Amino acid sequence: MTAALSTPAPARPAPRQVRWLLRLHRPALCAWAVLVAGLAGALLWLWGPLTDAAATAWHDYDATCGRGRPCRYDQDAILRYKDVYQYTTMALLLLPFLAAAWAGAALTGREVETGTARLAWTQGVTPLRWLAARLTVPALLVAAGTALLGMLHHAAWSAGRGRVPTAKSWDDVPTFYTGGPLIAGLALAGLLIGALVGLLVGRSLVALCVSALSTAVLWIGVHTALPHLWPVATSVSGRRGFPSYSGIKVAEGIVTEGGAHRPVPTCTVDLSPQCQALNDRRGTVGFYIDYHPYSHRWPLQLASTGVLLALAVLLALAALRLLHHRTTTGGTRPGREGAAA
Amino acid sequence: MSAAAPALHRTVLRLHRTTLACWTLFVTAVLGWLGWLGGVSAPHIRHLETTCDPVRDLCNIPYLGWVYGERLGYVASVIGYGFLAVAAYAGGALIGRELENGTAALAWTQGVTPTRWLAAKLTVPALALTAGDGTLVAAFRWGWTPHRDLRLGDDWSFGGIFLARGPATPAYALCALAVGALTALLLRRTLPALAVSLGATGLLHLLLAHVRPYLWPRLTRTEPHPFELDNSAWEVARGRTAGGGHWATYHPPSHFWPLHLMETGIVLAVAALTTAAAFALVRRRTA
Repeated sequence: MTAALSTPAPARPAPRQVRWLLRLHRPALCAWAVLVAGLAGALLWLWGPLTDAAATAWHDYDATCGRGRPCRYDQDAILRYKDVYQYTTMALLLLPFLAAAWAGAALTGREVETGTARLAWTQGVTPLRWLAARLTVPALLVAAGTALLGMLHHAAWSAGRGRVPTAKSWDDVPTFYTGGPLIAGLALAGLLIGALVGLLVGRSLVALCVSALSTAVLWIGVHTALPHLWPVATSVSGRRGFPSYSGIKVAEGIVTEGGAHRPVPTCTVDLSPQCQALNDRRGTVGFYIDYHPYSHRWPLQLASTGVLLALAVLLALAALRLLHHRTTTGGTRPGREGAAA
Repeated sequence: MSAAAPALHRTVLRLHRTTLACWTLFVTAVLGWLGWLGGVSAPHIRHLETTCDPVRDLCNIPYLGWVYGERLGYVASVIGYGFLAVAAYAGGALIGRELENGTAALAWTQGVTPTRWLAAKLTVPALALTAGDGTLVAAFRWGWTPHRDLRLGDDWSFGGIFLARGPATPAYALCALAVGALTALLLRRTLPALAVSLGATGLLHLLLAHVRPYLWPRLTRTEPHPFELDNSAWEVARGRTAGGGHWATYHPPSHFWPLHLMETGIVLAVAALTTAAAFALVRRRTA
């Protein structure tokens, strides 16, 4: 039985699978295309005209308001920039959840629930091929769409950096996650979580909820692990000062007499007599802060995206393995027939 | 027939007991969070305020207050925008699924008229939502109204806070329920109904949030020189007069209730119309 499953099926069914899949999910495909095009348009608008208008308005503001003259600047341009930036960023943050919910409910959960998956396996499509098509095509579309949006978001944000004083800093959490390939990694992982949960649960609405919640848990995990995916920069000061840093603070603590860095929860500066006494007692000679400056932005993005891609591959393998196990040893008759056909 | 209605309500409760448990858990969790914020966190900041010596102890009360306001803002968003989940649930699990897999049609052959079926399907969640949202709104008002000086980052005009402070929250939930039912009856498929119901309710809210400041007459202030409005005012527009003066239109905080009740009324009217349309549809389709 296993041999029957793993022998490559005739080349013919594969493209037909893809065509069926695209046909079955045509509304979702259209919705995705509209969503990506709309967001890309909004981000292009933000990148060019809106950033320019906001930068000009801030320039006018600085030139007139600060010098006792009546303020003459385009406040609407500044607010429009802020609104569009906020809306597009929030929409991008929702994409991983959308991918997970859709995959759990519509891509696999529904087909297992209604039995159309088993029906398909009796029609000359092996279960593994069926699932491979269901994972590959959406994964490509989701990854391409979100990667494009992530890069556009980063370009739009970069255009305002240094020109629009109210533009978010790079370590602002939504800005960091949406600006680059990381959002594509999250969306892809979300999609595969959804596909796996749909297969496991086999009920579309339950799978929808579980997939979206699992993606939230994954996100929390990524957020916790992120600062440790790249070596930190360290800033050290003596007892009189405090270490200067920028970007993401990872850890802080005291420098002991031996030169060792020891993380401590309190009194990381000598601002009060109590802290001074405590630091005298524990032999503090200075303070340190571990942090990620702006130059670590891309390494952090790429490292976390790499981890998520690896996770996505593992999830895909788990889904394939689960289905293989179910259709060979699980003893579902239609699956066996499909494999034998 | 008289015994059918309670039995039907029991069936609805039993079928959706997981959802009911989730809703109860959600309401309890939010109440707990609010209780902690208002009963533990705020008194703690107040205590620091009276005992902390800024020269000696490095007190960070403005920061603590900002965090406190931010957390209350999250609670407000969760309460105020919860209706989006209701829309998805009503379109998908409550009505859409039963029409798709035929259990609705089966029920209609078992001595339950389609109208009664729909009434039971809407009444039970409507009661649960009104009770839960009523409790949440009361608790939010208890947590939000005092400690104005601690909430440095929020304002009464913010979307979530605006909704979570009054009957607009249950009104939106009921409207989402009705929109979900109508969408599901129109589409008769679970997942499309879920998506369309969520989208339609979200759009309705976006539209209303956009027109919100225009639902009650704004006040206008005109001055010969540039001026700033009071911090509590919700500024709607600002500009220059022909004579070179400055004007601004705004809502003072006292406009909260007229604005809020106008929006609640509109939402309830939409909910009523949508419910009527759903009943008309189910009656016509099964006639």
